[in-house]
Amino acid sequence: MTAFPSVEWFDDVRDIFNHEDSFRGGGGGQCNCVAGIKVGNEIFVLTFEGFECAGARKASLGDLDEVDFYLDMEILEWQAMIENIRQNGHAGLGYTLNTLDLDRAERLATSVHGDQYREDLFFRYNQTLQYFFDASSRIATEFAS
Amino acid sequence: MKAVKAAAKAVKSPHAETVRKAVAAPMLEIPEPKLTWMNKSRQWGVRVKPGKKGLTLGSLNVGIYGEIPMDWPDQTRNPRGAIGRKGMPPVGYMLRSKSQVWADCAADLYEEAIQRRWAPATDVPWDTVKPLPDDLERAVCQVNTELSQYANVEIEVISAWQHQMVYGYHEVKQYLATAGFDAARHYEVFRKRALMNGGGLGLEGPGQVNRMILESRGGWTEAVVYLVLVRGLFAQTILRYLEHYASNEAESFIYRNVLQDKARLLTYGLDHLKFAIAHNEDQKQIIATLLAIGDGLFIRDFNDPVLREALAIVFGGSIEGARGAGMDVYHDMMRAYISTHLEYCQWLDVPRRIPEQLEQYAPQD
Repeated sequence: MTAFPSVEWFDDVRDIFNHEDSFRGGGGGQCNCVAGIKVGNEIFVLTFEGFECAGARKASLGDLDEVDFYLDMEILEWQAMIENIRQNGHAGLGYTLNTLDLDRAERLATSVHGDQYREDLFFRYNQTLQYFFDASSRIATEFAS
Repeated sequence: MKAVKAAAKAVKSPHAETVRKAVAAPMLEIPEPKLTWMNKSRQWGVRVKPGKKGLTLGSLNVGIYGEIPMDWPDQTRNPRGAIGRKGMPPVGYMLRSKSQVWADCAADLYEEAIQRRWAPATDVPWDTVKPLPDDLERAVCQVNTELSQYANVEIEVISAWQHQMVYGYHEVKQYLATAGFDAARHYEVFRKRALMNGGGLGLEGPGQVNRMILESRGGWTEAVVYLVLVRGLFAQTILRYLEHYASNEAESFIYRNVLQDKARLLTYGLDHLKFAIAHNEDQKQIIATLLAIGDGLFIRDFNDPVLREALAIVFGGSIEGARGAGMDVYHDMMRAYISTHLEYCQWLDVPRRIPEQLEQYAPQD
């Protein structure tokens, strides 16, 4: 059981994601971006390089200035997404990143800098990001009660 | 070794005498090679090493091979960096300035498109498509018919301009080759969805915006304004909502992956328009004027009820659902489109006024 959110949880997901060949085809593939993950007030930064998610680290609010875009949800929303992925083996129709982005008044994918070019990386690499979170279906996750 | 065996065999064969005579005959005269071409290189000794992303197109831009001038007068097919032959007839390329085609991201997008390709025949989980109620199936088919038409227009527009571009900016030509291929894939996948579940193709779209894009003769930059800021963003918004309201995993996969391909074209378009604006002081105003002209044709398409009704049925799940929730979602979609369109214009610093007929969808602040 790995706790979400934590660097250990992202590392476990990275380990699966980085070694799964099927994520490199079918619209997935090389991905080069730095994505922030905001879970309530906790911040993490994921670095994608080539076929891999090269690193995950804990970060501070100020670090969001530097990322290309960040995904922002409250802990219960992240929990619902991760549990849905665990149940289906991948995100169900109501829990894909695009759907979650549209469902929220404040978007799921956003940025501090407002640079359209960098924000659009969320769409350019959407399938890879989806595969990354889908990889979490293979780990047991526990959430703070 | 094979040659020795063959010779030994030949000596024993009935043709041995013929072979012996041929060998004994004087050698044919072969002219001494001049090899003068071997000194023809503008820069020798270049060794580009593959990096983390492999040996990419962009990484080859080193030394003189990385010199990409603002104007490219050479009208032949001479690859950039090679030495041209004298007396080659011009091909007659129309787009010979960097500001007419360039985007810094083109080489990366080319690699990305090749790397992140997908195959509708085998990658889409077609087995997840189950029979749908007739009204919903008809609506899905109608939307896919119009989207396949959008893709068709994209293929035509891109290929019509691509061959007008000089080889000095090969990164753009190569990226656009992949964009044309992406559009072909989209034409294919939308057609497949329409034909694989008991429905079929629906009614042709009204096509005012199609004609506007196809008949844009001012230049590639002007075509990009319509292809990206109008049609591209509108299609992207539709795809995002279709993915949200997909009836099965196959549709979700299709719309999500087309969206990803489309994002590359939007990125190229945005980057190119930014570059064109930076190198032509009138460009911003030209874009604003083009958008104002385009509004009239966009509104004509918008007033056609077919796509609106079909989308509302998809979003509402049925004709009944379309009357309430479906139309609400459609209006949300239009608000999202106008809002994204304005964000793009703002990023480009292009002045933009939304026409009266679409004002209801403009952000309130």
